[in-house]
Amino acid sequence: MYEPTVAVLIPAHNEARVIGRILQRMTELSYPKNKLEVIVIDDASTDATLATAQFYEGRYSNIKVLHRNQAEGGRGKAQALNHALKVVEGEIVICFDADYYPRKDILERLVGEFTDPSVGAVQGRVTVLNEPFNLVTRLVALERVGGYRVDQEARESLGLIPQFGGTVGGFRRQLLISMKGWDESILAEDTDLTFRLFLTGNRVGYVNDAECYEEAVESWHAYWTQRYRWAKGHMKCAFKHSWDVLTSRKLTLRQKIDGLLLLNIYFMPVLALLSWLTLIPLVALNAANESFALWALMPLPLYIFTANFAPFFEVGVGMYLDRRTRASWLIPLLIFTFLLNIPICTKALLDLIRAKIMRKDDNHWDKTFHSGNGNSYMEN
Amino acid sequence: MLEDLFPTSTAMIVLEIALVTLVMFLPALLELKKPKDAGPRRINEDSDQLPPHMGLVSMERTEQFKVDQTLIKKIADIISFLPNLEG
Repeated sequence: MYEPTVAVLIPAHNEARVIGRILQRMTELSYPKNKLEVIVIDDASTDATLATAQFYEGRYSNIKVLHRNQAEGGRGKAQALNHALKVVEGEIVICFDADYYPRKDILERLVGEFTDPSVGAVQGRVTVLNEPFNLVTRLVALERVGGYRVDQEARESLGLIPQFGGTVGGFRRQLLISMKGWDESILAEDTDLTFRLFLTGNRVGYVNDAECYEEAVESWHAYWTQRYRWAKGHMKCAFKHSWDVLTSRKLTLRQKIDGLLLLNIYFMPVLALLSWLTLIPLVALNAANESFALWALMPLPLYIFTANFAPFFEVGVGMYLDRRTRASWLIPLLIFTFLLNIPICTKALLDLIRAKIMRKDDNHWDKTFHSGNGNSYMEN
Repeated sequence: MLEDLFPTSTAMIVLEIALVTLVMFLPALLELKKPKDAGPRRINEDSDQLPPHMGLVSMERTEQFKVDQTLIKKIADIISFLPNLEG
């Protein structure tokens, strides 16, 4: 049985409401304790995160706490993880966000993928724990089902580009070190790592059975903040990697096409807005008679129409596979999250362009707040 | 005058859009009002459901000791017939 030494990294910045839950879970994992080290990176927290983590450090010999003070910490997840990467010793590095709650045998399921030498990283499935809380959590849960049960699974099955999502996943430690760890200049450090990995000739293995609960955002403000960060980081990855993906000799044609589509996915809402802004005036001004202008622009809305409706079908199929047909009644409401993503992605792009023009790198990490409400949905 | 302000065709279009919107969102509104969904997936904690790669390893060992069920049935039939021979 393949049982390498594993280092679990849990970066935490002001996660006092949830850190205890995941650390307790780390003590319940079925993976051999003598092959497991758990490192909590307290990233300049100002609440009880450090005290809670140190409580577990004192009771369990394989749990350690790395503390980053105010001067060195609080500058984002990538920095915190790179700090831990310098001191961990496990052959495999697995990351969990502090609000996550994995199944007991998740490590066996994840590390098993590394028996395939082409696998450089793994990614498990994320399931929303606090789904019934309100409309926001229910819609985020729908997105998760489509994104993992269908999108990631399809990418794995078709030999495309499954993504390392930054949590519920991990890397071979030596490979990660050779790639110089996480890029601290990019907010979407997980997407960046994914493409850097594929460009080295390795791949991400998606494991649908390696399932983990997460606490979804509970307000539209938190949704905006989180998605804005994702959009900005993802777009920066698109600028950084698109040409390399297109010209790489280590990717198949299918991977190149999928990689380019994946990298540019957060531009889709911006393109939707652009297509409305150009076509609606043309039609309104009765410029439909100017057939050249109309037909020249037509591919754009057709592409937007197809691509932007794909997620709805993904969610529907995912709900069917999960046998939750009643929850799929909420799918039409995803139109509102689609509409909300238009200003989010547009603002992200404009902010990136402005930062580039003013030569000012804005990588401020707006942390997602976790209320700990997910605890009430755990069964005893 | 009313017809001048609201031509029939415009009214029809507005009505159709309203109906389509209602039909599209009615199931969602029903589920929000009276949720009947079972809730989030319960992560299966059954430890005997091994992941595929580990399952292959364990299956190899299980195959060595796997007994053919048809053979057992034949043996059982023979054993059940033996008392008849004694008689």
